[in-house]
Amino acid sequence: MDVFATNFQTLDWVIVCVYICIPVVIGIIVKRYIRQLSDFILAGRSLKLFIAIATLTGTELGLVTVMYNSELGFKHGLSAFHVGIIETFCILAIGLTGFIVYKLRQLRVMTIPEFYEMRFGRNVRIVGGIILALGGILNMGLFLQAGARFMMGVTGYSNPAGLKLFMSAMLIMVLIYTVMGGMVSVVLNDFMQFVVLSIGMLIGSMFAISKVGWANLFKAPPMVDSASWFNPISEGSGFGSLYVIFMVILTFSAGALWQSGTLRALSAKTPKIAKQLYAWSSVSYLARRVIPMLWGICAFIFISQSPKLLAAFQGPDALNSQFGMPIFIAKVLPSGFLGLIAAGMFAAFMSTHDSYLLSWSSVITQDIVAPLKKGKLSDKSRLLITRICIVAIGIFLLIWGLWFEAPVSLWNYMAVTGTIYLAGAFTVVTAGLYWKKASKTGAKIALYAGLLAILGIGPWTMGENVPFYLSDKFIGVMTFVIAFLGMILGSLIFPDKTKPGEAKR
Amino acid sequence: MNWELLWKIVLIFTLSGYSILVIIVIFGGVGNIVDMLRDLRKPPDQE
Repeated sequence: MDVFATNFQTLDWVIVCVYICIPVVIGIIVKRYIRQLSDFILAGRSLKLFIAIATLTGTELGLVTVMYNSELGFKHGLSAFHVGIIETFCILAIGLTGFIVYKLRQLRVMTIPEFYEMRFGRNVRIVGGIILALGGILNMGLFLQAGARFMMGVTGYSNPAGLKLFMSAMLIMVLIYTVMGGMVSVVLNDFMQFVVLSIGMLIGSMFAISKVGWANLFKAPPMVDSASWFNPISEGSGFGSLYVIFMVILTFSAGALWQSGTLRALSAKTPKIAKQLYAWSSVSYLARRVIPMLWGICAFIFISQSPKLLAAFQGPDALNSQFGMPIFIAKVLPSGFLGLIAAGMFAAFMSTHDSYLLSWSSVITQDIVAPLKKGKLSDKSRLLITRICIVAIGIFLLIWGLWFEAPVSLWNYMAVTGTIYLAGAFTVVTAGLYWKKASKTGAKIALYAGLLAILGIGPWTMGENVPFYLSDKFIGVMTFVIAFLGMILGSLIFPDKTKPGEAKR
Repeated sequence: MNWELLWKIVLIFTLSGYSILVIIVIFGGVGNIVDMLRDLRKPPDQE
């Protein structure tokens, strides 16, 4: 069987091309609804429960999400499911308790660093804004690369120049409708994408399971160690107990404070809806993990049954494991449906890009440029700067995505780059909201500590026999620990002279 | 611990639970969109 053989035909191309033009049309139509910055960034804080669930899922269920989760399933088997379980419980806990999100929505902040200023003063906001933008933009640095791999696997089209052109065209379309319609067009597109992709993924799962067989799904393939296929705590699984601890801390902090997701909670009509949003979305968070992992697992079982396909993923010239799932679905989904899934995935790709572009550009405008200008920035200028930042980040993504390769796996890259921001943010926001003694110095130390996570994407994390202290999971956990200790010690040794809430704006 | 059974339950729960959520959100979401666009059309002092 040819590795890149595919059921993707002309009909599928037509479906994809028509489908991905729809968001641009929506962006043009809704431009007239945008009158002020809060309309652009938070859709006028008018989101009700169901549309908020759809848009949160639409954002968090991107093509990249599908790629990194399917890669985890492909590489680690059923043991990968533990990440989904942990994340679901964390999101549910946030939804039931309202931890962080309820209070933030009550405070009516637009971004997380805005809270830093409210609680710790302007300087902390600027530092927090820079680290958030750095971590966030690096985090989306491999989106285009993963999208291109999906595209190659599904379409069987492997001309590198043509692929780059196609990905660039998609990025340009995202930029157009995000720059024009802001959050309103993002919300509408997220809803459309939620509907198409969710239904497509559920039906696709049926195809995948029927191809490999329900019983085979729960049998480790012969070339894999049976214990590590099922048990995430087993060191042979590629995870281990330290990794599980890292996932608990990371997914809880990301659930509460990942800017693109939190932006949905801040856009909710009331603090109560913000809380409900998380409780309901815990099922979506489970699905966005488990369904792509299922596809990755089915892909591995399918590929392991064909010596030619298996050979393509072994040896020094092995294909990247991200190719596993797209190559599999290209062979098992029928033409027409494959086009719809591909279109849904490309729309998901665009949907994640739009939200992330909007998140990071609004952070640069609101939390770095505006505080530096000491509030002397009109709404119109802020809108213009946000739009310029969207384009600038787009250009960076194109360049970074073309040359950088994730050292361990796509998800590990995402986890570690996310930690750059999350380690400091989670500590600072939690302490800021729930600990009266939290001080500016403690906050700054915690935020700077997050930068340690950059060590987790270095070349020393690659390979089979990496010492534990150089592994990305150890670096990730330690970054959180150091940020936490930094906050406590910094606050106790250097307390604020002013009381909380009196911080200089 | 019976990992095989656990992952079976997780998979069945995910596929069935998500199917139900998708149906609820599709019906509820359309009404929410209409409300959102209506809210955004109001002059700011009515919000």
